[in-house]
Amino acid sequence: MTHAIAPCILIVEDDPDTAEAMAQAACDVGADPVVRCSYAGGLAAAAGAEFAVIMFDRMLPGGDGVDAIAKLRAAGSTALVMVVSALGRAANKIEGLEKGADDYLAKPFDPDELRARLRALLRRKAMVALDNDVMVFGDLEIRLKARTVHIGQAHVALSPKEFELITYFARNAGETVTRMQLLEHVWNLHFDPQTNVVDVHVGRLRRKLEAVAGRAVIHTARGQGYVFDPQREGAA
Amino acid sequence: MRLRGSASLRVTLLVASGIILLSLGAMALQYRVTARSLDARQAEILSADLEAFAAFYEQRRIVALRQAIAFRAQSHDVQALYLLQDRHGSVLAGNLTTWPPGVTPTDAGFSPEGAQHFRLSGVDYIGVARALPGGFPFLVARARTATQATLADLRRLIGWVTLGLIAASLLAGGWVARAVLGRIGRINALADRVAAGDLTARLPGPRSADEFGTLEAHVHNMLDRIEALNRATSRLSDTIAHELRTPLNRIQQKLSRIKGQEQAVSDIQAEMRATIRIFDALLDISSAEAAKGQRPGLVPVNLSVLAGEVFELYAPLAEDRGLSCTAQIAPDLMVLGERSLLAQMVSNLLDNAIKFCRPGDAIHLSLCQDAGGHVLRVADTGPGLPEDLRASLFERFTRAPRDQAVAGHGLGLALVQAIATRHGAKLSLPGTDKGFAIKITCPKLDQTE
Repeated sequence: MTHAIAPCILIVEDDPDTAEAMAQAACDVGADPVVRCSYAGGLAAAAGAEFAVIMFDRMLPGGDGVDAIAKLRAAGSTALVMVVSALGRAANKIEGLEKGADDYLAKPFDPDELRARLRALLRRKAMVALDNDVMVFGDLEIRLKARTVHIGQAHVALSPKEFELITYFARNAGETVTRMQLLEHVWNLHFDPQTNVVDVHVGRLRRKLEAVAGRAVIHTARGQGYVFDPQREGAA
Repeated sequence: MRLRGSASLRVTLLVASGIILLSLGAMALQYRVTARSLDARQAEILSADLEAFAAFYEQRRIVALRQAIAFRAQSHDVQALYLLQDRHGSVLAGNLTTWPPGVTPTDAGFSPEGAQHFRLSGVDYIGVARALPGGFPFLVARARTATQATLADLRRLIGWVTLGLIAASLLAGGWVARAVLGRIGRINALADRVAAGDLTARLPGPRSADEFGTLEAHVHNMLDRIEALNRATSRLSDTIAHELRTPLNRIQQKLSRIKGQEQAVSDIQAEMRATIRIFDALLDISSAEAAKGQRPGLVPVNLSVLAGEVFELYAPLAEDRGLSCTAQIAPDLMVLGERSLLAQMVSNLLDNAIKFCRPGDAIHLSLCQDAGGHVLRVADTGPGLPEDLRASLFERFTRAPRDQAVAGHGLGLALVQAIATRHGAKLSLPGTDKGFAIKITCPKLDQTE
């Protein structure tokens, strides 16, 4: 991370083991964790300092993290809120997102998944506004308005879904993106399909890019995800 | 408020028409009694006249009678007719010049019996005509004008009273019906709101001490109970989720710290994921069943777009497995639904089809419109359905023994069924030559709504 000052992440979680794992993930992404174990304590901490990301549990002593979002916003907090909860069904996730959560992660979570999501949120926080029409990664160019992808002079023919996929990858270039994140952001689906359908789509996109570029553009990350990094040397 | 077809209006009008009929009967009886007593009075006057003439006749026969009649005829009593003729038909005395047609003199004497009704120049008369000894026709009659006028007045009065009664009963019926409807209507409106899914709906204001108040109190008690049960159910599923997922999360975090046994760790993680998927499916099924038929949470969803997206998600997977996968989707078919649940439903159907088909098989998804609704159909040419499974196909944990090698827990179709029911859709298994087909008929969304 290239931040001069490490961003702060507030963790509001009553289960000590989980809070510890969350704090560890925050450290792993280069942020300073602050842990609170009750609803009221979390709200008080959020009001007292500037946080980049707030991770809120739902079934907390004293309240529900989803209800806290409105209170945080009313108090002027601009922190991105990630709800991390045992209420992990699609209906719960949609409820949380509709009520203003920026991300929603179900327990039990894989630490890799949490790290990937924290990085994505921190990156979003750091990005002021991305209204560039062109995203350039070395010789790979993505034109958002024209919806085209070029590698050098060669055009890569992509389906509309594949274009959305590469755009999401490009916005998180260099970072691990998990299957669940892809399913949520590219397909807007919040349930866990029995089959890893996402892999097939990523595989196709990856082969198309590789055929033109002559090298791997999307790499498989250890654990459960992919990294889009057109400039990385070496095989996936 | 709807007055037409109101039960209370019907009852009020029935009672009112009963009362009107009884009053009419009473008034008819009164009318008859009055008519009879007026007739009797007229008969008395007539017989008094006759008695007087009989007295004159007793004294000096025709001469005295003639004088008496002449005297009477001079008095300008238009109500009375007198006529005495001789045997040749010439007038001896009276206020008539000719014998009235249609009146026949009967026997002699002055008895009031055998009075005759007749009409002369537009006026009804009742009179006694006699042929006195020696061939003298003699007539005494009285006009019925006064009697008839009294009776006509009475009839008019009865008519007005009847009209008044009808108007009053209509007004009273309308008023009673409105009052009852208003109070029943409140309870009906409450029931509608509850049926639409608002379990917290209650009637505002104090309750009156009558049977309507008691009914409202009963309805409120029932709603309180339903609401409490409903809340307990959703709290239970939240608690189940919390109490199971929190320890699973600790296990997960501890697993991630184990080094050097990647394969074992990832196997355990896959098992955990499968376990969570099972109880998520169970909770989804029960919450979809609990929300069955409730409107809140449902929004207009473009089923065509949704089916297209899910199809697009699965098509490459099917192709990679050597299946031919096609879709035929009519554009812009709208339903009222929960997008995520509908996506899950289509996804489960395609997932199942891909899971059970062998390379070379075909899967076809179609969405079209027919009279009954929007018909979503997923058909494949796979191994089809074992006959003994047909009945229990949508029950939880139903799996064919031959499919033990295929991943799954027998919850996919149970969830499909619960989601379909949640949306008021009908599930059916149309017969196919080969393979398995399932048809879901969703109610159309009324675009004008």
